[in-house]
Amino acid sequence: MKNKDDIIIKIGLGSCGIAAGADEIYHTFIKEFKRRNLKGIIKKVGCIGNCFAEPLVEVSIKDMPDIMYGKVDKKSVYKIIDEHILNHHILDDHIYDFKFPNSLEEK
Amino acid sequence: MKRTKYILIASTNKKLKDDLINSYVKLKNECSNLEENIQVVKAEYLPGAEDSIIVKILPGNIIYKNISPKNIHEIINKTILKGEIISKLLYKEKTKQYRIVLRNCGLIDPENIEDYIKRDGYKALENVIKKYTPDKVIEELKKSGLKGRGGAGFPTWMKWNFSKTQNSSEKYIICNADEGDPGAYMDRSVLEGDPHSVIEGMCIAGFTSGAQFGYIYVRAEYELAIKRLKTAIQAARKKGHLGKKIMNSDFNFDIEIRLGAGAFVCGEETALIASIEGNRGMPRPRPPYPSIKGLWGKPTIINNVETLANIPVIFLKGGQWFSKIGTKNSAGTKVFALTGKVKYSGLIEVPMGTTLKEIVFDIGGGIPQNKKIKAVQTGGPSGGMIPEKYLNTPVDYQTLQQLGSIMGSGGMIVMDETDCMIDVAKFYLGFSIDESCGKCAPCRIGGNQLFHILDNISKGKGKQEDIDKINKIGTAMQKASLCGLGQSTPNPVLSSLRYFQNEYTEHISKKRCSSMKCKDLMQYVINSDNCIGCGLCAKNCPVNAISGEKRQVHMIDQEICTKCGQCYDICKFNAVECK
Repeated sequence: MKNKDDIIIKIGLGSCGIAAGADEIYHTFIKEFKRRNLKGIIKKVGCIGNCFAEPLVEVSIKDMPDIMYGKVDKKSVYKIIDEHILNHHILDDHIYDFKFPNSLEEK
Repeated sequence: MKRTKYILIASTNKKLKDDLINSYVKLKNECSNLEENIQVVKAEYLPGAEDSIIVKILPGNIIYKNISPKNIHEIINKTILKGEIISKLLYKEKTKQYRIVLRNCGLIDPENIEDYIKRDGYKALENVIKKYTPDKVIEELKKSGLKGRGGAGFPTWMKWNFSKTQNSSEKYIICNADEGDPGAYMDRSVLEGDPHSVIEGMCIAGFTSGAQFGYIYVRAEYELAIKRLKTAIQAARKKGHLGKKIMNSDFNFDIEIRLGAGAFVCGEETALIASIEGNRGMPRPRPPYPSIKGLWGKPTIINNVETLANIPVIFLKGGQWFSKIGTKNSAGTKVFALTGKVKYSGLIEVPMGTTLKEIVFDIGGGIPQNKKIKAVQTGGPSGGMIPEKYLNTPVDYQTLQQLGSIMGSGGMIVMDETDCMIDVAKFYLGFSIDESCGKCAPCRIGGNQLFHILDNISKGKGKQEDIDKINKIGTAMQKASLCGLGQSTPNPVLSSLRYFQNEYTEHISKKRCSSMKCKDLMQYVINSDNCIGCGLCAKNCPVNAISGEKRQVHMIDQEICTKCGQCYDICKFNAVECK
């Protein structure tokens, strides 16, 4: 990974996400990226909509499909970094694949 | 070797568990024999996974449904190796959602204005300032058919036009973000996820009516929303999208945040204006409407958060485009906070005219634990209950009103067979009477009387004539209350009575609550056939209501029992019954 925007991580940090513990997930990502000297964008976003599966984390990596993980805990953050980001290996049992058409990406 | 493809597999249907595991294993085996490096992933949820096993191939986004282990070989052979699509298995993703208001929520960083600008942000404002006159804005808005999303559904163009045609040097725009319905969080989510869309909407409103100043009235409890709004306003000022000479034109507009102390009645526009002016938040009779005489007696446009978030899209894509979404009478989409007894609760946005059934079952995934749905509550404390038999109703302003409920700001609570309608009505009524400002008698006294009647019914002290009384008081409140709060307070009671009168009569004449919610009408008893006399219930009873010798059938003393239900939960032999 050379460029900063080769790795984009979006974390649902609306009130609903924060109530489910997304704040900790956000800070764990930042800390781990720093510790491992990884370059990437860790982005706070608003409510993604699937509140039942909070905390939600979307991982977009160059040359890999975008993946939405749900019910992410601290342990899975390490796994996402170790397996998904560094090894291009998607995690089992954590994908909640919800995508909605929106007016800016016309149907 | 570099990985090239990913195959996702999932099903949430428990009956297909064995098939799912077999398919997964087979996929893994087949893939390991290939030259390509393919990862097979077990996903928790994929679209369509409620009914069948779904396989999704990435990249390419090919989705197959109704998968069983015998299809796996074909998928690998045709799709993976040759790139052919197997049309008989193909699943067309048919999400019922369409996002206009939430177009940026969950996609952009709300604290970064550049993110918003990248997604066509402030382009609508630029369009309007450079190419539109206020008259043309109104015309476009009229074409779009946008109606106020705060609940009443008043055409937005009319509101704007009233204010525009007033001759006054001072005019105001207010964004009503005083969201107070229990279980509703649409406005909060928009403010937290995409604050700039609301600011842009307000700017366009200001340009149209000739206002130079706007207020966002937001609940003080919404700390995160306030923080993000403040950041957004500052960033917009810095960029020149707020302040003097916006986008090098003669148009000046700025916004200030006002915090509400959390009174429900302040969501009513005249009470909200009183609150901004520094007075006690109490409504006043209309007319004159705020569009003509509002804040400090000046023409004021008050719009809900969701209405304003729609505005930029209308001026990006045109009113015509917007009017084609939704139904003939209600254009566009509506955001709902789908909560209660559904599998997938959350924030949803659907085109108007989507049926309740589609919302609850297709988007919400149905009722957990295979229970039966009883009703859907819309509109919060001002709305009503819609029973199961009307679930095929398309959602728009008129249809919900005909059913005795309202669209409201968008709370949608699903109830199943274990919910008692009298209990629910009592909850909403309790909320409304707490929030009544006390200015007018129908709301202040009527609400309390209604509550007492319901309370008596739920305690088994109801009388047959109570039903008439409820109707009488409720209708009087609807007709005689001063503002929307009092007029709508009886709605949950009246609508539950309309559709669930059998539950009321059951409570009154049989002194029974079949949903087991009204504590005074139920009893915990020990079934002597199942009780082995282990004594666990007696040990855990907090009020020592259970007695019995060891290895003998125990007894619950109904006089002492507080119906906490601990014995029921703890008994391992199903010997405690709830009657």
